[in-house]
Amino acid sequence: MEYVLETNNLEKRYKNFKALSHLSIHIEKGSIYGLIGKNGAGKTTLIRIICGLQKPTNGSYAIYGIKNNSSEISSVRKRIGAIIESPSIYGEMSARDNLIEQYKLVGMPSFDGINELLKLVGLEKTGKKKAKNFSLGMKQRLGIAISLASNPDFLILDEPINGLDPQGIIEIRELILKLNKEKRITILISSHYLDELSKIATHYGFLDNGSIIKEISNEELMRKMEHKLILKVSNPKDFVKYFEENKVDYEVIDSKTINVYGKYNLSKFITELFNKNLIVDEIHEQEESLENYFINLIGGAKND
Amino acid sequence: MIKLLNAGFTRLRKNRAFWLFLIFSIFMSLFMIYTQYKDMKEYGEVIQVEQIILNYSTIIGIVVAIFVSLFLGVEYSDGAIRNKITIGHSRIQIYLSNLIIVSIASVFCYIVFSFISACVGTPLFGWVKVEGINFTTLFIDILFLIMAFSAIDTFIAMVCSNKTYTAIGTIIVAFLMMMIALTCFNLLCSSPIIQTVTINESGEMITKEEPNPRYPTEKEMKIYQTIVDFLPAGQAFQIAGGNNTNFNILPVYSLVNVIIFTGAGLIIFNKKELK
Repeated sequence: MEYVLETNNLEKRYKNFKALSHLSIHIEKGSIYGLIGKNGAGKTTLIRIICGLQKPTNGSYAIYGIKNNSSEISSVRKRIGAIIESPSIYGEMSARDNLIEQYKLVGMPSFDGINELLKLVGLEKTGKKKAKNFSLGMKQRLGIAISLASNPDFLILDEPINGLDPQGIIEIRELILKLNKEKRITILISSHYLDELSKIATHYGFLDNGSIIKEISNEELMRKMEHKLILKVSNPKDFVKYFEENKVDYEVIDSKTINVYGKYNLSKFITELFNKNLIVDEIHEQEESLENYFINLIGGAKND
Repeated sequence: MIKLLNAGFTRLRKNRAFWLFLIFSIFMSLFMIYTQYKDMKEYGEVIQVEQIILNYSTIIGIVVAIFVSLFLGVEYSDGAIRNKITIGHSRIQIYLSNLIIVSIASVFCYIVFSFISACVGTPLFGWVKVEGINFTTLFIDILFLIMAFSAIDTFIAMVCSNKTYTAIGTIIVAFLMMMIALTCFNLLCSSPIIQTVTINESGEMITKEEPNPRYPTEKEMKIYQTIVDFLPAGQAFQIAGGNNTNFNILPVYSLVNVIIFTGAGLIIFNKKELK
C-alpha cells in the first residue's frame, strides 16, 4: 500500500494543553480522506504540522515516505497544495493576478495553465474584480485554484465548506470529486459536516481529543451503517453454515453475536431460521447514521 | 529565493502602499522645493539643493515604517506566509526575500525623491554646493540607513503576526528612535557653560556664567554619540544637520543594525509557531 501521508505517534503540546496525542493516520494514494472531528479535536493542528507551519512535540510523519526530519521535506512539500482555515489570497488582487503570483512562487515556466485553472474553478469571468469583493464560495474556489498552481499530487483542505451556502457547498463538492477522479489528486479534507463528507470520502479518520480513534474505508463504514439485524445466538457455527449456503451477507462479531446486513421481513426471517433448527436468543434491528456512528465512537473512546 | 523575489516584486508593482510611498516621495520633493523657492524669493535665503535631498532622510524612517507595515502586514493576514511555507519555501528564504524587497522599494523611493529634487531644484537653486565626494558619502549614508530602517521594520512585521500590531509597532519604534536620537543630540550639542541671570537688592540684573550641570561627562558624551550614530534616526539628524566628524563610519553602524535585527528576526521567525 502506497501512502501519501503517514503519521506515527504524533504529539503536539501547547504549554499544558495536549492538542495531539499519539496520533497515527495513513492516507492512501488516490483516496479522499475525510478527517472528522469536533471543533478543537485537533484537525487544524494536525494539518498545520503536516504543512510545516508548526513542529510536532513528539512523534513523526512522512509525506511520500520522506520523514519530517529529513532535509528533503521542503522539496516534497512542493507536491502539496493546501488551504488551511482560510484560503491564501491577496484581497487587493484579481483572481488572475493571484494565480500569476502563485505561478511565480512555484516557478512555473509560463502562465498558460491559468485560464484552464480559472475555468476549472468557475472563476473565468471574474475579470479585474478584486478578490476581497468575492463571495466566500468564490474565495474558497480561488484558494483551491491557487493550491493547484503547482500541479500537486496531494491536496489538503481544512474545513473548505465552512460558512458556504448550499450552492457553494455543492460547487466545492463537485470540484473535489473532479480533482480526485480526473486529476488523480489525493485529498485530505477535514470537516465536522459529516453528511457532506460522506458524499465524497473514500476513507475516514475519526479524531477525538487529539487522537485518531478509528480509521475506516468508506466501504467498511457503509457496511457498518447499513440496515442490519443483530442476532444473539448460542451456536454461531450453525448459523454461519446456513448463511453461507443461502448467500446471506453476515459478519460474526463475537462468540454470541452475528450481524446480518440487508433488509428482511423480521417474522419471516426468524421463522425460516426456526424451521432449520436455528434458535435466536435475541434479535435487534438497527440502522445507523454517520452521526450516530461518530457519536458512538466518541462515547466508546471516552468509556475506554 | 529567486522565485520568492520574482513573485514579491510582481506584488510590489501592484501594491497600493508602494505607489502611495512613491507618490508621497515625489510630492514631498516638489513641496520642499516650492517652500524653499518661496523663502529664496521672499527673504533672499541661499538654498542648497543637496540640503533638500538630505533633509528627507529625517522623516524617511516613519514613511518606511508605514510602507513596511502595510506591505508585509498582510503577509500573515492574507495567509501568504502560510502558503509560501506549504509549497516548500524555507523560512530563511521567505524572511530574507521580504527584507530585500522592502529595502529595495524604500531605497528606490528615496532615489526617485532625490532625482526629482535634483532635476527640478538645480535650475532654481543651482547645483550641489558642497564637495561632490562629501555629498556622495552623505547620500550613501542615507541609503544604508534606509536599509537599517527596513531591517528593523521587517523584524517587527515578521515576528508579529497581527497586522494592526505591526503597524502600531513599526510607527512607535520609528518615533521612539527619533525621540531618543533627538534627546541625545540635544545633550551632545549643549553648552558646557550656561548663563544665569539674578537681580540684586538694588534691582540690577547680574549675569553670571556657570558650568552647565547637565553637560555630559566625556564618558557620557561617548555613549550619547554612539547611540546617535547607531540609531538610523540619529544618523539622519546628523546627516541633515551636517554635524558629525566621521560620516564614513555611519554605514558600518547601519550594517550592524541590519545584521542584529535580521539575525534576531531569523531566529525568532524560524521557531515561530504559525497559524
